[in-house]
Amino acid sequence: MSTMDRTLALSASGMQAQAMRLRHVSENIANADTPGYRRKTIAFEPLSLPGDGMGEATGVRAGRVSLDRTDLTQIYDPGNILADETGHYLGSNVDVMVEIADAREAQRSYEANLRMFDQARQMSQSLIGLLRR
Amino acid sequence: MDIAASLAARSYGAARPLTSPEPDVAGGPGASLSQAAQSFAQVLDRADTTAQQAMAGNADPHALVASLSEAQMAVETAVAVRDKVVEAYLEILRMPV
Repeated sequence: MSTMDRTLALSASGMQAQAMRLRHVSENIANADTPGYRRKTIAFEPLSLPGDGMGEATGVRAGRVSLDRTDLTQIYDPGNILADETGHYLGSNVDVMVEIADAREAQRSYEANLRMFDQARQMSQSLIGLLRR
Repeated sequence: MDIAASLAARSYGAARPLTSPEPDVAGGPGASLSQAAQSFAQVLDRADTTAQQAMAGNADPHALVASLSEAQMAVETAVAVRDKVVEAYLEILRMPV
């Protein structure tokens, strides 16, 4: 296990975590109009990977899913079958704007990890390329 | 005629152990070489397993890409080292005696 291999594995763990984040964002957006749906959030947590002899490598992974505890939105729609006597029913607490911002953040983090991956690969390839002269 | 053939076979059999590779001497250059070859084979094995799992839909594509690039770098390193060794050998062959 060389240091470059570790870099590749760490970047891959970051990309995987961001992909998981995007998955939950899409789940939230898909359920934005579902009555009673609480938006899901995930916290990232450190993931220790096998080291390379120069200290341990700490990657990242998506941790447990938790539900957002903010109140569900009250939607006024007396004709709805779920409406109570005041004409309101509980919608979801998904804010699509927040979800889109989260998705964009996931995309940028993914790109950063991808660049790191590519850079580590190019560096080791040019190192090996020295042998070919 | 028959005797000569069996004699040849016997002497061939006697000579064979001489050419067999010696068991690894701990700490020698052979040991580190075989260790390098083993870790190379391990990397390729891992790439193979991950690729198979990814084809079956069990492995994450990120893991697939990481292990395949690892395998690619390992193969490139091995090829570069082999080229150097062959080049050195040819250089020795071309030496005027």
